[in-house]
Amino acid sequence: MEEAMQALVFFWFAGLACMTGFMLGFFAKADNVRKVGAALMVLGFLSLLATPWTLTFSPSSAFGHLLGSILGPCVLMGVGFYQITFSGHVPVGRLSPGERKTGFAMVIVGFVWLEAMHWWILTPTYPNEVNRYWLIFWPTFLLFGVACSCTTYALVGHVGNQRNQEQRLMMLIAVFFGILLVLGILVDGPNVLRESFASALFLAGADLFGLLAGAALAIVLFTLVMALYESQQPSPLQLNSPSKGQLQQAAEMISANLTGGEEE
Amino acid sequence: MTNVPSSFPVPAKLLIWAVAPTSLLLGLAAWSVSPPFQDALVRFTNSMLTSFTLFSLMLLLTLLVYGDRRKRPVAPFFGMVLSVAAGSALTYFFLSQGDLLMEDNGSVRAQALSNIIRFATTLVAMLVSVMVVAGSLFSSLMSAPPAPVVFEEE
Repeated sequence: MEEAMQALVFFWFAGLACMTGFMLGFFAKADNVRKVGAALMVLGFLSLLATPWTLTFSPSSAFGHLLGSILGPCVLMGVGFYQITFSGHVPVGRLSPGERKTGFAMVIVGFVWLEAMHWWILTPTYPNEVNRYWLIFWPTFLLFGVACSCTTYALVGHVGNQRNQEQRLMMLIAVFFGILLVLGILVDGPNVLRESFASALFLAGADLFGLLAGAALAIVLFTLVMALYESQQPSPLQLNSPSKGQLQQAAEMISANLTGGEEE
Repeated sequence: MTNVPSSFPVPAKLLIWAVAPTSLLLGLAAWSVSPPFQDALVRFTNSMLTSFTLFSLMLLLTLLVYGDRRKRPVAPFFGMVLSVAAGSALTYFFLSQGDLLMEDNGSVRAQALSNIIRFATTLVAMLVSVMVVAGSLFSSLMSAPPAPVVFEEE
């Protein structure tokens, strides 16, 4: 198969399958369609993960390599958080205290694993240099983590009642992520020097703000299109207010169906 | 935050909480090295155009679901198709203007595809961040027993 065709099938169609499968899996009403969507998503994701072997000639395969590199720690943290959450005070299906401890261990190992990718020898390297997409992923993850935890801190303060512990936790995460960023800017890692990290962070900020601005524009446009369409629809049929006879009939029906004992 | 009366509406407060620390950290990064301002501007524009086009496409797909409930209206669907087409055309137009939005890629197609992969990488990073923050929040919320409801006599 020609190289361009291989890239189209194993990377771009796979990415499209992932996105379409996600939308179908989550939003479709029919069970069969949802199952097909989930299968599409899994197949697309597996094809993306396999690109370091199927598309060795293409620079795009570095993205598949990044996905494979972060899959382990992300799954560990995701399952860990699930176990911690559902071993807490949930009304049904509570997990055991042992699973809570396992969850904590999984979250810690997952996060340390991610950290080791910057501060130790586990940095994703593809093919012979640091994966270019790792230099986008890592600063964006930390930067958005700071923004997200600070916003959650403010949101919990606004809507929560006596949620000081959660607010403190959010602030702790923001400070921790901030310290990791500052350390990355000031101290050389074994594979990523501080200058390249600072430049990557600056560009990650541009990426992040650009993405949010573009998304906001698209949503505003979508809202306008929908509002315009809905405003042109004929208003629904208005019913006349009930007559005295209808009200009387309703009152009789209600009183006939109401039961209640006398006050003791 | 809640006890201090303020003239700021809540969305503005949340936006400030999100943007202020981020800007501070970016300022520190800019101070520590000679910042690539020109590259950052190009990156921002590329990211915005790609994000606009791809989010329009995602919203277009959601219209298929919306259509199930509203007898498949054509007008909003057509509107979002136009939006995707406009985003794609703008991206192509700006990428074709010499070095205006080109980075380390040899052709317009390579740059456009590179933009999409970078968009996906940024999105993955954001999702992992949200997982960590939301996971920590819910873990903490569920670790404490629900507060008893106290009824006060009138």
